Amino acid sequence: MAFYTLGLTFNLVILLTVIILAVWIYGIYFNFKKWGLGSTGYHDQLRNSFWLFLATWVHEAFKDGLWVFLRTVVLDVLLLRRTLARSPVRWVMHMSMFYGFLALAAMSGFALFLDIIEHFNLAGLAHEAEMVKEMLGLPFDVFGYLLLIGATIAVSRRIFLKFVRDNTTAYDAFLIGAVFLITITGFYAEWMRGNSFLIGNLFEYPIYAPHFALIHTVLAIGLFALILPWSKYIHVISTPMTLIGNRGGE
Amino acid sequence: MADQKNSKPLMSGFMMSTQLLEVDGCNRCQECMKWCPTFAVRPDRPGITPMYKNARWRELMAKSHSLRAKIFGAKPLNDDEMKQFTEDTYSCTTCGVCGTVCEAGIKTVELWEAMRPNLVARGDGPVGKQSFFPKLIGSDRNPYMAKQEERLCWIPKDAKVQESGELVYFAGCTAAYRQQALGVATVRILNKLNVDFAMLGKDEWCCASALIRTGQRDVMAEHAVHNVDALKDAGAKNVLFACAGCLRNAAIDWPMWYEGYIPYETMPLSVFLRDKIKNGEVEYKVPLNYRFTYHDPCHNGRHLMHLKGKDWAFEAPRECVQSIPGVKFQEMVRNRALQRCCGAGGGVKAGIPDLAMDCAMARVQDATDIQAEVIASTCPFCRLNLIDGRNTAKSPIKMVDIVEMMAASMGLDTAIPENPYTKFQSQDVLVCTPTECKLDTVERTEPGKDLVGEAH
Repeated sequence: MAFYTLGLTFNLVILLTVIILAVWIYGIYFNFKKWGLGSTGYHDQLRNSFWLFLATWVHEAFKDGLWVFLRTVVLDVLLLRRTLARSPVRWVMHMSMFYGFLALAAMSGFALFLDIIEHFNLAGLAHEAEMVKEMLGLPFDVFGYLLLIGATIAVSRRIFLKFVRDNTTAYDAFLIGAVFLITITGFYAEWMRGNSFLIGNLFEYPIYAPHFALIHTVLAIGLFALILPWSKYIHVISTPMTLIGNRGGE
Repeated sequence: MADQKNSKPLMSGFMMSTQLLEVDGCNRCQECMKWCPTFAVRPDRPGITPMYKNARWRELMAKSHSLRAKIFGAKPLNDDEMKQFTEDTYSCTTCGVCGTVCEAGIKTVELWEAMRPNLVARGDGPVGKQSFFPKLIGSDRNPYMAKQEERLCWIPKDAKVQESGELVYFAGCTAAYRQQALGVATVRILNKLNVDFAMLGKDEWCCASALIRTGQRDVMAEHAVHNVDALKDAGAKNVLFACAGCLRNAAIDWPMWYEGYIPYETMPLSVFLRDKIKNGEVEYKVPLNYRFTYHDPCHNGRHLMHLKGKDWAFEAPRECVQSIPGVKFQEMVRNRALQRCCGAGGGVKAGIPDLAMDCAMARVQDATDIQAEVIASTCPFCRLNLIDGRNTAKSPIKMVDIVEMMAASMGLDTAIPENPYTKFQSQDVLVCTPTECKLDTVERTEPGKDLVGEAH
């Protein structure tokens, strides 16, 4: 329970998680509602309806049948076929960030779930939950490195490629920089605990490890809940939805 | 929303909800910027590229629909900002290469064409001479202020054209009034191949592509419905197009405006002719001893490839060109789905002619780079703009339509009968003897009454 530091308790973390999830869900709802301002068909009237947006999107997604829908999900969303066709380097970058981010987000959620089991000793599985949590250490490291590779390519492109650099706005720089910073702080927090994957005890500093872990968590949650729905990061949601809605695009 | 009392809303036209999603789907990868033909000639104006247009639309929408606007009230849309956004949005030929390369799969042509009616409704768009389109096309049914009764005035007296039939040739306004050599060549080839076909005559109205492309949708509906009804009344089962712009509109746009059943198929003439070539029905007599390249019109290529397939969009015209004896064929570096737009589309030729000209010069340079002598194409508007670009660049390259090439090589008489529009003809032509064909240029002898030199 070294994580709960600086006055944080388990109950407080759960409360904050609920608040953050609520903010995030509201953000997504807000965007869906904004998209719902449009019409349901070509030269149709504007509708301004959350539900009609969903209906329109589902209609578009399945327009060519289930097979096309599944093909789009696999080839275009999960394998990023269109990115690969244009730039293998960018494909590696996006795949790393996409799967790194998704896996870390999913595992964080799972770890919280295990925390809950452990805290309340649900079904008497506290010990097993703790063991599973320890087993998650390696996957966390692997997907963390994956995200780091992607974020490093992203930052490097913006710095070293002239065309990309010239067309990078402060907005782009802030958001990509934020991902990079969160990834780095995550690693540093892990390294401070000692006995880390690939690094060993090189950066071990266990006294401050929980504090740094907290900083990383706050940054990650801030990005996830407070920035994602209101910024370019919404493309994490809207790009796959666009690909599916357009059945793979042109 | 009180702040917007004097500011019309941005979203007043018809934008699909999934298109609003697309705007947020842009992940700013910059790929579109590398391919955009207008940005290539205006590198100091990144605002005209898809990535920035999406970003600007988001910002403008956010003034009324962001969380900040919800809490503190909407901000009015700034006139200067809107003027700039309008200029940027209309500095696009709607060629669609951005959609082809877009990682997010955004259907960009449809997106820009959905943004523009909003700007028209606000009074910001269209730009330049584009504003003449609705009046010209609505009153004359063509953009050249020509008489509908004279649509078929160029047809040779000995040619056989029916008034109705299962196969209809939709010539389009430019072949009817400004590039009649294309129309004559088409009619001659079909007659030579003993193909029975009909033409609509005065019942053929402008396809109204220019209206759709520039966001002026009102007259468009009338034209789409009329043309579909006219084709149905003629008994059409298959409609041939030698104009890429008309083909795109007939295949993609008209059906979206027509509520009834459409019983006919639309087909590029190049596909029809390729079948005839494959069947051994086409007999060439005169070689065309030139180095050719092929320019894919956006409307006949990228816009149609998902509807009709890449074979119809890209390979059929190439096979027609390469079937002609004497032709030495070479591809430009940018070809097929990644071709560079000539710059005429999207109303740019009429609205921002200097931009269209610079794009055309860039495309002529593409052909010059591979030492081509002739650019073949299947779009009268690409041809018109590329000729303008060629003239400005003082390049010796010629532009011809593949139908005219085939007619010349088949030894057909493609002379245009004298008619009220002879003096407005301006194009490169093939002048043939029984043994060889030479390229020549016909200069327009009168400026013509058309206020708008470019309709698509």
